Amino acid sequence: MDTKSNLSDLSAADDMKDKLIIAGKEFSSRLFIGTGKYASNKIMAQSIEASGTQMVTVALRRVDIQNPQDNMLAAIDRKKYLLLPNTSGARNADEAVRLARLARAATEINWLKLEVTPDPYYLLPDPVETLKAAEILVKEGFVVLPYINADPVLAKKLQDIGTATVMPLASPIGSNQGLKTKAAIEIIIAQATVPVVIDAGLGMPSHAAEAMEMGADAVLINTAIATAGDPVKMAEAFKKAVQAGREAFEAGSSGVKNQADASSPLTGFLRD
Amino acid sequence: MAILKINGEDKIFENSVPSTLKNLLESLKVDEATVVAEVNGQIIPRGNFQNTILRDGHKIELIRFVGGG
Repeated sequence: MDTKSNLSDLSAADDMKDKLIIAGKEFSSRLFIGTGKYASNKIMAQSIEASGTQMVTVALRRVDIQNPQDNMLAAIDRKKYLLLPNTSGARNADEAVRLARLARAATEINWLKLEVTPDPYYLLPDPVETLKAAEILVKEGFVVLPYINADPVLAKKLQDIGTATVMPLASPIGSNQGLKTKAAIEIIIAQATVPVVIDAGLGMPSHAAEAMEMGADAVLINTAIATAGDPVKMAEAFKKAVQAGREAFEAGSSGVKNQADASSPLTGFLRD
Repeated sequence: MAILKINGEDKIFENSVPSTLKNLLESLKVDEATVVAEVNGQIIPRGNFQNTILRDGHKIELIRFVGGG
């Protein structure tokens, strides 16, 4: 092989390395954005734009018959952002499957964030019902991105039945506590055959950077941006943190040592 | 008098219920492009709203996207 083709091979490899691929679809941004809790549709749209994301989550709820004009979807440019409907509110597999089918009827796309949370206080996902729903939805042709506790055994079972990703939580939804499940997420990443998206609980850009440095493929952020003092600025901060964390992961850590390791030479000192 | 159960609540009509799902959405001032509907537990594709005949006692769910994480 001559040098020229070697170089072009290298740059092709670099391009590949930097892209996230989920179910055959390529994403250049590794930050996904939730659309809940924004003060207005306008601030939501500006924050989405500032984040550089290419995928946004939405929920399904009954139309408010007293206020039928409210339509947040109009604020999202569907040419720029892939809609990822969630099954929030589902307490079991049956409810999640019903919401999934409604979401597909509404969007004419089959991507789905599967979440089953029976308990409204802690909002922790139900592993048994999530696996049950995932089995049904994968068979029905959905691209399933399941929200799960950071359980390596469950993550493996889900990827084995054909989910497009696994999305373990960092800490409870909306808690902003950061990476409380780090040790379990390390195992999930180590055995992953599908992209690992860290979802829920990342409260600051440093948390997102830490997740990306560990080798997570992407993160999903909602509360930390939507309820920040300046959501648009926070969206931009998360964008930079996710990029920095990913680049650090690709660059490779130089490792942690127990003792000092001088950066300046230990010879040639100006003394006798 | 006729009744439709819409999103869990009874809605009473003086004479008869709107003849189709499309007519119901118009009477409620709901933009059909923004909703997905179920009639008696069956999902109605958006193109079929006009052909979906409503009768007294039908259960309707009108659902749309809202912000969520």
